[in-house]
Amino acid sequence: MPQRNIDFGKFGARGIKGSDAVARKLDELAGGIATPVTARRGWIARLHYLTRSAKSRQAAKEAGLTVTDRTLKAWLDGRRRPSKANLERLDAAYWTVRRQNVARHLLKRLNREGRGTRVEIHPLNQSQVPRPLQRVVEYRTMNVRRWDRIVASWAAGDYQGLDDAWTTDVLPDLGSQWGQYEYVTNVGFAA
Amino acid sequence: MSDFDAIDSLLAAVGPEAELPPPHVRRELRERARLSKAQVARALGVSPSTVTAWEGGRDPAGETRTKYAYLLDGLAARFAADATPATPSTAESQAVAQAVAQAPAATDALPLRTAPEEGGGGDGDGDEVETLAAPEPCVLCGHPAGTRVAGFAQHLDPADCQATASVPDKSTAPPARPEIAPPARPEIAPASRPEIAPAGKPSPRAPRTATRPSERSKGPARRAFQEPSGPVDLIGQAVRAALTEHHGDVEAATAALLKRAIPDAMRLLDETRKGARYDIVAHPWIPDILKKQTSRGADQIWEARPKWTRHALPPGKHEVTALDINGAYLSALKTHLPLGQLEHSAGLPHDRRRAGVHLITPPEWEHEDVLPNPIGQRDEPGPLWVTEPTLRLLLRLSGPKHALCAPPEVHESYTSGATENLLEKFRIALKDARDTAIAEDDEVTLEYVKAMYSKFVSTMGESNYNRELYRPDWMHIIRSQAFSNLWLKALKAHDEGLTVVRAMGTDELHVIGDWRRVFPEGRGVTEVKVKDVYIAGTEGEGEE
Repeated sequence: MPQRNIDFGKFGARGIKGSDAVARKLDELAGGIATPVTARRGWIARLHYLTRSAKSRQAAKEAGLTVTDRTLKAWLDGRRRPSKANLERLDAAYWTVRRQNVARHLLKRLNREGRGTRVEIHPLNQSQVPRPLQRVVEYRTMNVRRWDRIVASWAAGDYQGLDDAWTTDVLPDLGSQWGQYEYVTNVGFAA
Repeated sequence: MSDFDAIDSLLAAVGPEAELPPPHVRRELRERARLSKAQVARALGVSPSTVTAWEGGRDPAGETRTKYAYLLDGLAARFAADATPATPSTAESQAVAQAVAQAPAATDALPLRTAPEEGGGGDGDGDEVETLAAPEPCVLCGHPAGTRVAGFAQHLDPADCQATASVPDKSTAPPARPEIAPPARPEIAPASRPEIAPAGKPSPRAPRTATRPSERSKGPARRAFQEPSGPVDLIGQAVRAALTEHHGDVEAATAALLKRAIPDAMRLLDETRKGARYDIVAHPWIPDILKKQTSRGADQIWEARPKWTRHALPPGKHEVTALDINGAYLSALKTHLPLGQLEHSAGLPHDRRRAGVHLITPPEWEHEDVLPNPIGQRDEPGPLWVTEPTLRLLLRLSGPKHALCAPPEVHESYTSGATENLLEKFRIALKDARDTAIAEDDEVTLEYVKAMYSKFVSTMGESNYNRELYRPDWMHIIRSQAFSNLWLKALKAHDEGLTVVRAMGTDELHVIGDWRRVFPEGRGVTEVKVKDVYIAGTEGEGEE
């Protein structure tokens, strides 16, 4: 059944989109500030990251941190602290800028000068599917050589583009059962 | 050689077709010679399936048929020749040889063969001695010779053969009849060479037997017992390369090798898993209990590291020996490792075929004054996550053989199907390298091997130094196995009547008593070495 699933989970299968798993893994590889934004240490660190240079201020502005320079200065001086809404914006902007900054390095490591990276695909969870409807779906591994589209759409926060890149470019290399791997429990790779 | 070709093809074209033995004999002959179909096919210039068809009853035609007949007859003659001298041979082989020998004898229409029996009848005088216009290298000594006997350029007088003594070393292949033996076959039967060399005029049979691919040739691939196909000597190669690169500077070479120990260990692991049954799953989903809570923090797994010192020594002064277990982590690589993704289960009894981590309530330990607690120095009460080796140790100790404690209570588990052999080849490769290094007193290799296995274990979890493998469960399990091994050594010492004073870390065991009858001393992984000997204890009344 070489196609996308129409009504995933109808019979109780559980899993996440393969592209979401890839995005999670890329986030994990990108790393970043682990302290939550609600803690003072967390938002201060994010703010410093976003205001280190004029370029990063510009990137933060483009990523949605649309507060005035005066407010930023007040936050940095400790005279004021961001509101709840602004904390969310700060966090979102931080992750967007962080992804953009890491993307180039990550892409280089994943492509490994054309040798690519081995990707493990752990199949979906069928434990809740009635026995007669369960299918044999094996653990698979594959080598992905071209990560450009995947990393670019991940860095741009374009989840639709990432899904297209993963499901239509990469998965068909698994052979005619690639549709079984549209939803997975985990996608593992390292960079 | 080319003139042989021409003559042979001419004769084949003129004469009637060569006779072939029945199909099953063809196959039998080939298998007795340990030639694969592919080898035969290559020599005859056909495909292996064609050879299969011939052995299944089809008959070749034309020139190929002549070649095939020549090959089969040669094989038959080979076995007949083997059977007639003192070499022990089965009656069956003789029967085969005769069956084949009869077939061609019936028709004397074999144009290019001088069968050994017939050639032997010629009594040596039948050798056709040709004088060569251009000297060719002598098959015996390699120097140019002006004559050719039975197709082989050689000196007629043994005195001309300059290097007779070193003949068996020379592996210049005597070019056989060109249509059969591929020219690049270096096998010369060393046993048959000396017969030819002094004679100078070889009997026609001699070169023939020498050129036949004998049993020494590469056998077919499907033998019951094959050479173990271990990994190539990656460790030795790396050490030699590092030493050459640093011009024999041992310290620089060691430093360079230690730096690349982790990638090299991963490469060795890949090499040892070639053709293996199970794939290494390097990035499975990891349950939260195995994830570090903060970047520097620990996860929730209790590895049961022993840290135990006996509260009170028996009265009197004692000589305590601190023993060191060699290569504790290396030995611990043999343990039950979960293969795939860990799956959650609760309330099930322990399954020996699976391994992973378990939430247990440990049993009470009542032997604290003589033996350490098998779950280590745990201060908090209550349930804790332990790994497979610790649970197995507890189950074993609660069994009827030891009956040292109650069985642990397993609440929930994350397990996967397990095998003990996943890292076995890897471990053996490292152990062999270590043993060789100790025997040769090779400090560089020793350090390198040590760095390989210890860093492999310590970085196989969430480490930035090794991103190829992300198995914190394996790391904990291997460490626990080392602790469990140490605990069992302490138990062994206790059972043999020694007084265990301290069990600490992975490899430290302090005992009182004659430990040499319990543990062999040495540097191998099954042996122990003495770290320290000291006197401990209070003044007993015996000395006052």
